[in-house]
Amino acid sequence: MATLTGPTGPGTGAGAQGDGGRGDGARGAAVGSRPPVVRPGVSGPELAAAPLVVRRVEEEETVVTFPTLVWKEFLAGLGMFVLLLAVSVQINAPLLQIANPAITPNPAKAPWYFVGLQELLEHFPPVMAGVMFPTFVIVGMLVTPYLDRNPSRRPQDRKVAIVMFTVYLCLAVTFVLVGQLFRGLGFNWDWTQIFGHPGLQSPY
Amino acid sequence: MSAESRGENPITALGRQVWGSIFRHGLPVSDKVAARTALTNFFLHVHPVRVKRSAIRVSYTLCLGGLSFFLFILLTISGLFLMFYYVPSTNQAYQNIQDLQFVATFGLLMRNLHRWAADAMVITVWLHMARVFYQGAYKPPREFNWAIGTLLLLTTLLLSFSGYLLPWDQLAIWAITVGTNMAKYAPIVGPFTHYVLLGGRTVSQGALIRFYVLHVIALPLVGFVLMVIHFWRVRKDGFTGGL
Repeated sequence: MATLTGPTGPGTGAGAQGDGGRGDGARGAAVGSRPPVVRPGVSGPELAAAPLVVRRVEEEETVVTFPTLVWKEFLAGLGMFVLLLAVSVQINAPLLQIANPAITPNPAKAPWYFVGLQELLEHFPPVMAGVMFPTFVIVGMLVTPYLDRNPSRRPQDRKVAIVMFTVYLCLAVTFVLVGQLFRGLGFNWDWTQIFGHPGLQSPY
Repeated sequence: MSAESRGENPITALGRQVWGSIFRHGLPVSDKVAARTALTNFFLHVHPVRVKRSAIRVSYTLCLGGLSFFLFILLTISGLFLMFYYVPSTNQAYQNIQDLQFVATFGLLMRNLHRWAADAMVITVWLHMARVFYQGAYKPPREFNWAIGTLLLLTTLLLSFSGYLLPWDQLAIWAITVGTNMAKYAPIVGPFTHYVLLGGRTVSQGALIRFYVLHVIALPLVGFVLMVIHFWRVRKDGFTGGL
């Protein structure tokens, strides 16, 4: 049962709770093992414009980070370590012939996370693909929290932000996949990279 | 009550004293003992003593930030072992990598771990950013920590990119050639940036030593400082959770 408390925040439907009156439970909790102190009406400078959040009362319950959180972190780290060990035993890191400036491999590709930019170079002038787009993305990310004036954290209140970010993510992933998987000799489009060619030996 | 009066073996008593001087509070049998341990332990101090249950739900955090940090530690340790064998010289580097693969005990495993953990870290940091965005966790009061996180993502990419050159094989120099050529396209400062980055006009010894120094000292230090600030702010800005 979601019991909702607190004043209804402006701009959201009934049941939304303003975070400002209550503050983050963890802030009170950070000073010791006592339960969080609820100070109605008292808010720090950061709470004046606090986001509107729907909270279930039972979720305000706090737990000790040690061992509760530390145990989760340990298990996550262990799982990742075992996974990487398994991969490392099975698959060797690539190592080609010794570097030779006289022989350009075809295709010559950037590391996979920059292959998206290399793919952009196929479609846009270099100054756009290599300089303007990356700069725009980096600066855009840095200033995102200052541009986004919507105080709500609820997905249903943030449709524009979520759609924009999802489009960006999909574009980034698509460009990397295309550059990495579908570009062959001369960085030209090549289906056979992935699907092979009936009756032909792959050149790779 | 002294150990003697309890009739305890002096060796056992000394052992108990040594153990007790390192681990003050014993097993976390109750929240109170656990909280005391967390308060006095240097490493556990990265966390607050108590936190909202909803803030650390695995289905909410997906452990992505923690995993990124774990991978950074794993990369530091495996990278340290690789450094024992690796000389950043165009005459030796490739040979060193082959020695690692075929001669050094566990050298191949360390190199593989280092390589795959690096790729995994690029992915986890990226996913962590997406997770934080979708939950709106960058909103006030956490705007600045999002900016720090953006810089950490860039640092991760640059760490991976600088490491890419070190094996000094065909894959390495041509990937770096393609990657650094993009810098040339910047108006006015482009060619200069390219020259400074490579220590010359082509990817050769100058580039190798620069990328090596960036990879093993400069960028890890930058990443470490940014991480310290990032974790500190996570605590000080409070936790989200429970959308």
